[in-house]
Amino acid sequence: MRPLTLRRLLLQCSILVVILFVVVVVALKFGAVPVSLYALGRDLLRVVFGQSSQISSDYGLIIVNIRLPRILLGIIVGASLSVAGTSFQALLRNPLADPYVLGVSSGASLGAILALIVEPHLSLSPLFAALLTPLGAFLGAAATITAVYFLGRREGQIDSTTLLLGGVITGSFLSAIILFLMSTLTGSLRGLSFWMMGELSTPLQKSVYWFLGMGFLVAAGAIYTTASDLNLLLAGEQEAMHLGVDVPRVRLVVYIAASFLTGLAVSVSGAVGYVGLIVPHVMRFIFGSDHRTLLPTAAIGGAIAVIMADTLARTVVAPTEVPVGAVTAVIGAPLFIYLLRKRLA
Amino acid sequence: MSSGSALARNPFESARLGSEVRLSVEQVSYAHSANPAQAPLFTLEATSFQARPGEIVAILGPNASGKSTLLKLISGALAPLSGRILLNGFVTHELTPRTRAQRIAVVQQESTLLFPARAWEFVLQGRHSHGRSLRFETPDDIAIAKNALAQVGAADLSDRWMDQISGGEKQRVILARALAQQPLLLLLDEPTLHLDIAAQIGLLDALRRLAAENRYTVVVVTHELNLAAEYADQVVLMQRGRCLRVGPPASIYQRELLEQVFQTPLTVEFGSSGRPRVNVLSGT
Amino acid sequence: MKISARQRFTCFLFAASAALLSCAAMSRAQTASPISTASPVFREVTDEVGRTVRVPQPVNRIVSLAPSMTETVYALGLQNHLVGDTDYCDYPADAQKKTKVGGGISPSLEVIAALHPDLVLVTKSFNRLETVHSLENLGISSYATDPHTLEDIIASSKKLSDVLGVPEAGASLAADMQRHLADLQKRLRALPPKRVLFVVWTQPLMSVGKDTFIADALRHAGAVSIVDAEQDWPQVSLEEVARLQPDFLVFSASHSDAVSPAVDALAALPGWNIVGAVSNRRIAVISEAVNRPAPRIVSAIEDLARQLHPDAFVEKPESGKEKLQKENPPPNLPPAAQSSYMPDVSQPQMAISGGCA
Repeated sequence: MRPLTLRRLLLQCSILVVILFVVVVVALKFGAVPVSLYALGRDLLRVVFGQSSQISSDYGLIIVNIRLPRILLGIIVGASLSVAGTSFQALLRNPLADPYVLGVSSGASLGAILALIVEPHLSLSPLFAALLTPLGAFLGAAATITAVYFLGRREGQIDSTTLLLGGVITGSFLSAIILFLMSTLTGSLRGLSFWMMGELSTPLQKSVYWFLGMGFLVAAGAIYTTASDLNLLLAGEQEAMHLGVDVPRVRLVVYIAASFLTGLAVSVSGAVGYVGLIVPHVMRFIFGSDHRTLLPTAAIGGAIAVIMADTLARTVVAPTEVPVGAVTAVIGAPLFIYLLRKRLA
Repeated sequence: MSSGSALARNPFESARLGSEVRLSVEQVSYAHSANPAQAPLFTLEATSFQARPGEIVAILGPNASGKSTLLKLISGALAPLSGRILLNGFVTHELTPRTRAQRIAVVQQESTLLFPARAWEFVLQGRHSHGRSLRFETPDDIAIAKNALAQVGAADLSDRWMDQISGGEKQRVILARALAQQPLLLLLDEPTLHLDIAAQIGLLDALRRLAAENRYTVVVVTHELNLAAEYADQVVLMQRGRCLRVGPPASIYQRELLEQVFQTPLTVEFGSSGRPRVNVLSGT
Repeated sequence: MKISARQRFTCFLFAASAALLSCAAMSRAQTASPISTASPVFREVTDEVGRTVRVPQPVNRIVSLAPSMTETVYALGLQNHLVGDTDYCDYPADAQKKTKVGGGISPSLEVIAALHPDLVLVTKSFNRLETVHSLENLGISSYATDPHTLEDIIASSKKLSDVLGVPEAGASLAADMQRHLADLQKRLRALPPKRVLFVVWTQPLMSVGKDTFIADALRHAGAVSIVDAEQDWPQVSLEEVARLQPDFLVFSASHSDAVSPAVDALAALPGWNIVGAVSNRRIAVISEAVNRPAPRIVSAIEDLARQLHPDAFVEKPESGKEKLQKENPPPNLPPAAQSSYMPDVSQPQMAISGGCA
């Protein structure tokens, strides 16, 4: 009998954080423009000690202004999607659930398209113009979350099966509207298809990173408070209730927080696929199904996965960039089949 | 119908039962309809009985007699249409799930786990309602879980995976989880359904012992006539949503009454222990 | 062990301060020195999508993110200032030797930044707004064009030449293009336009919308597109084509040999032989220059006009004036219309004036 202790949890997370650090260093080093490790270390130290003005313009800007924000975005997106995927798998009691199964990504894409349609008619300062697509996507996600919530209720409470059905139907409906709009719109939407596949090069203001980080901490924290409840929920809803879980409250908190995380990630990076589906399974295989361990390790594991995928996306056919979602799909799908065959998923 | 006075019980047994009433089911009824426009599909008419610490109550009846519904009402999963259920004076339905789980433990027939778990993990789930929601298990919790497994004779199953043990072993682990909750009331819904005879006897023996040692009040839903007769201190006889009679086995197990309820010819005899025994007659 | 409230609070503080530290580090980092080390003189212009662009003066290093922009830069004689272009910039041949920055939709910001451009040229149809914003965040200015008609293309080249500091080259380029078009107009004036279907893709069948520069190019070539749609790349149904019965199908290809097997395959498909132009092989093939809103489109238009209205191009005896023009071409002008032209790179470079209003 080896029950979970705080010390073991911190140890497991520390190992993953070390791996994350290594992956970040690799991601900072590799790219279309070669950067030496020495220059990398020197410039990073300068940043930490506030001597940014001394960074040579050649490497400094590439590392600090291009790769570092991208890596930060990758961490937030990867962590958000993995936590959301883990939560939905528990909430819907379905190992095939991923963050997009309840239609949030379709809602976000539709919001982004509407923002693009509306943009020429609004005279915005350049500051807001750049944020319009992520903002539209986030609003679209929020609207979808609300709609699916009301669809997924039975007798006043969220019911897993009804929620799943409502979410899937809403997702298909919104996708159909998106396809219709894309085929009839006058402007060229080639760029939007690229975004919808998932990519990390969206330009964002510093304040947006703050919002993303805070949003992730709050939502993931809320889900983490229900970690023990989720363990019991997997045994069955009636049993969980008999063991003391306030099932309706837990379902509501997890649904809103996980959908919020998904909306956050999709608004800034499009729909990066397979991360939210596979990272929870891999972490479950390594660390077990206890959500007190699974949630933090999935978050860090998701960050690692997205950064590795993004590094590949930036380097495999450099200087052209492949969307991150394409890399995760190419790697993720065979990996999932492999896991299935080993009956781990 | 009241539970009767101590005179109706076996005088040897009254010593091991507490004198105060722990569970009081008072005129509880229930109606359930899938469609609000139609007439209710299933009703439970006003039912009452009481139970004490250390007592085993069997809710007995054929299929669709309302046994499981009554159990769900007692467990707090359903709210009664009328009447109330008191546990040590508290109305069970008005408690929060957490406080309720500290007092009432339910053992279902089966437990489906989405992801594999070990037996000790499973039993530790019973400790969830004690202490804050998000926490790591204390040494106390671990000791209680170990003890629970030992009490059901499943200490050697501690490290086994739940999907790799037999039905009987699984049932014992599920019971251990219920014991780990340290409840006042133990509810079991047809626990012997998928078990062979030896396992059935083993389970009920364990229940009797546990009820006596730990002063649990045990309520078992069953349709097994002879097991109920052998182990129950009190029997609640149900048919088609109506409680026909409440009392010790001797007063319930009467031939005409049982034949009418179970729709099958049978004979009743009394063994040396004073407990009735039913023989079902086949054919004719 | 039970985590006390104090321990949890400490963990939270730790995590929060770690997050705060990294964000602070990032915010300080973004005040690093800007890319451009050239003189800090700027000029504000408005580009063709309405943005205000701060153009460093002089413009020494240019990165082009669209093939049409690359061609225009060469036509203006500024190829030595072009430090980077996309994988798709293949004309003229010298453009293929420039440093590549990737595709139009997904160029590598790192490579662009490492080239230290003064100005990046983009077009609305080939590039993304996100790329422009990302470059802005790095302190790199982008200038966008968005031509929808031939007049737009001519005005665009002229305005661009002004922004890049070579107004004379732009003026003469514009004048030359206008002269060719006017000449074409004269020849075709009396003739009724041919009704054509410009085929972008066969399966599904896609053509061009009425607001595109390709549709306008067709008009200048004495043709009119039978597709009257609002979208830029409308999908048309075969029934509609069969009903409208265009006189010609127009394809754009790098080699005309590639087209006939494609057309044969098309004729074999069910329903296509109803279209008279297919069964009678009334096909016009022009160079891919028609797909790019660049000066070279004029030669493609002329080529198409010749194929559609051959009678208008029976050579008249040269007048003396024309003969003089042919023997003494002004510098940096393309030779007489052919399927493709090579700018004369051996010509002395135009002096790039700086800081003009």
